Amino acid sequence: MSEMSSDKTTKTDRVGVYICYCGGNISDHVDVEAVRNRVEKMPGVAVARTEMFMCSDPGQEMIIEDLKSGKIDRVVVASCAPSLHETTFRDAIKRAGSNPFIYEHANIREQVSWVHHGDTATNKATVLIASATAKAKRLKPLDPIRVEAKKHTTIIGGGVAGIKTALDIAQTGIEVTLIEKSGILGGQLNHLDRLAPSGEKASDILQEFLDQIVNYKNITIHTNCIIENVTGYVGNFRLDVVTKSDNKKFNIDTGAIVMATGSVSYTPYDGEYGFGRHEQVIVLKDLIHILKENKSSGSVLEVNGKPIKNMVMIHCVGSRQIPGIHKPKENGKLNEYCSRTCCAAMLNASNQIRENFPGTGIYEMYRDIRTYGRGQEALYTQASKNKVVFMRYEADALPEITPSPLPDYPLQVKIKDSLTFNEEMDVPVDLVVLATGIEPDDVSGLASMMKLPIGTDQFLLEVHPKLRPVEFPITGVFLAGTCQAPMDAGEACNAAGAAAVKASALLRKGYIELDPFVAQVDIDKCQGHGACVEACLKEGALELIETTIEGKIHKKARVTAALCLGCGACAAVCPEKAIDINGWALKQYEDMVDAIVSDGFAV
Amino acid sequence: MMSPQAKRQENKILILATETCAYPGADSVGQTHSSYPANTYILRVRAPVLFPESFYIDCFKKGISGIIVMSCGEECPYEGAYKAMAKRLDSVYKKMKAMKLDLKRLRLTAICTVCNRAFLNEVKQMDQLVQELGPPQLMA
Repeated sequence: MSEMSSDKTTKTDRVGVYICYCGGNISDHVDVEAVRNRVEKMPGVAVARTEMFMCSDPGQEMIIEDLKSGKIDRVVVASCAPSLHETTFRDAIKRAGSNPFIYEHANIREQVSWVHHGDTATNKATVLIASATAKAKRLKPLDPIRVEAKKHTTIIGGGVAGIKTALDIAQTGIEVTLIEKSGILGGQLNHLDRLAPSGEKASDILQEFLDQIVNYKNITIHTNCIIENVTGYVGNFRLDVVTKSDNKKFNIDTGAIVMATGSVSYTPYDGEYGFGRHEQVIVLKDLIHILKENKSSGSVLEVNGKPIKNMVMIHCVGSRQIPGIHKPKENGKLNEYCSRTCCAAMLNASNQIRENFPGTGIYEMYRDIRTYGRGQEALYTQASKNKVVFMRYEADALPEITPSPLPDYPLQVKIKDSLTFNEEMDVPVDLVVLATGIEPDDVSGLASMMKLPIGTDQFLLEVHPKLRPVEFPITGVFLAGTCQAPMDAGEACNAAGAAAVKASALLRKGYIELDPFVAQVDIDKCQGHGACVEACLKEGALELIETTIEGKIHKKARVTAALCLGCGACAAVCPEKAIDINGWALKQYEDMVDAIVSDGFAV
Repeated sequence: MMSPQAKRQENKILILATETCAYPGADSVGQTHSSYPANTYILRVRAPVLFPESFYIDCFKKGISGIIVMSCGEECPYEGAYKAMAKRLDSVYKKMKAMKLDLKRLRLTAICTVCNRAFLNEVKQMDQLVQELGPPQLMA
């Protein structure tokens, strides 16, 4: 799977340029026919045509006919953003029997007619098309990179996201190995009781999943295991795994990897809202455990044998932290994000308590209530009906917990309540519950080993939150669940389903076709300095090899295409310009700049 | 004689916009129909780490008045690429200093897919700068 070539990039002079009216979206501001007249005179342009909608069948047919007749061998379409129709036009080129990578796009709607007007828009559209044409002239047919792929997926993390991903992949007949570092499956679900907003028992859902898993012979589970190393590339990864109990080492060869490494609950620092200093200050996870184990049937909730007459629930602990107000962790980081699930979980717990123990009064102290999901707002309404008292604090006036002067209560909570015009109140309480947020489990070692990006919030970072939400830039590695962002169990299962479909679709054929936008070495120019190897960001993607040319041994750079990220870090450092990125070459950018500075005349 | 519009066009701004963040960010500005100076030319790039120091200097020599590198910032999908590129720009700044080029002509910023205000702000500031400074006076 290596790429080395002595092909020289040659320029073509048969570029076809197709300019779209977009039903007036472009032509209301850009004089499309004037642009066409200018473009057809540009050197290297064989035909320049216009159409009301280039994406329509007649528009695509125009390109196909010109390609089939041999009038053109490169295509530029000037229309809307490439994210909308780049694939449409590549497919049209394919249907003409040509290589889809001889295509370049000029964005004259979102980046011209929708933001500029009159002659300015017409002139800019001309220059952008000239620039696209300059790039197109150096495009060459490319073939997708084909790699054999093992029909096997490894899921790292045995929480609800990992289990759901494993089940959904196994259903497609692909082998699955699930690796969990602890002794049991289920992750954070093991610590939950009744899930918001439906009220189902977390243990029932988990049991249903586990019952399903045993029915799949193609799922192998390893608990108490640590991953020591990950090597290889899409279709052919190798994981070095070691068991925690007896240090036994083994390998897993796999085609794709899904990161489902989950999250942990934020631990307040010593003294944060009295945590660690007063035994009556607990976190939400502890309250859920108490409710889960509680067998009392009186009208007042009892905790450690003591009746809880009044309790305070404080929201946003360890979430939505603000620089200068909240104390950073040892690493200097703050959790500036919303943990999303705590509001619903707090209200769910409050409703359970008020409905089962009406003698226990509850004060919810919040900054904002964010019951965003389906059915969650009903929890808030229900809590109001259940006479939960809501008080709102601002971030710069956090509630304070101190011993109570009243003999019947161990603590009091002082709050400046913005719902009552910042009235200061002391609430005597028997119990304080902190809604601690979600933090990603620390997988920095694994992420560094696999070159996976981590966001500023410390969660694993997808390629794009909307366009490619469960993929990493490392092809064949996906992510699901709360390792990516705070999610509830339902959302984690949604992400797991998406990751499973992506992994299954990738592996189902037994081979993978990768985008050909990878580095390519010009073997004649390469002097074997190795600067590119040093600059390469992906271990193993570039190496220096010895090769014999005319009886002499030379060092030459060699690309392993399946590992190459196509970022171009190598191209920037080669003194001979002997390495470049197929389809996104430095030389093409230089030509584009020439076209821009000359207003299209240098094309 | 050039029209004022044509004269304004002399000060060209090159924008290197990453395909996963800043380029869709520029499209997002278009979707809101927010106008900005037309002397801006956006090139879609996978990662600006592709460009050597000479690319930036050559752009100035060719007559580009200002360059904005609109990256994904620390959230770059290519692990390590942002750091490597930022380091390279430090060297470009040194060369610019030696050539007596105003360092503000080259700006590194992070633009996300919906950072409309930030995009407009960056473009506006660079446009003001290049209108003040004019094209760089360098021999190609």
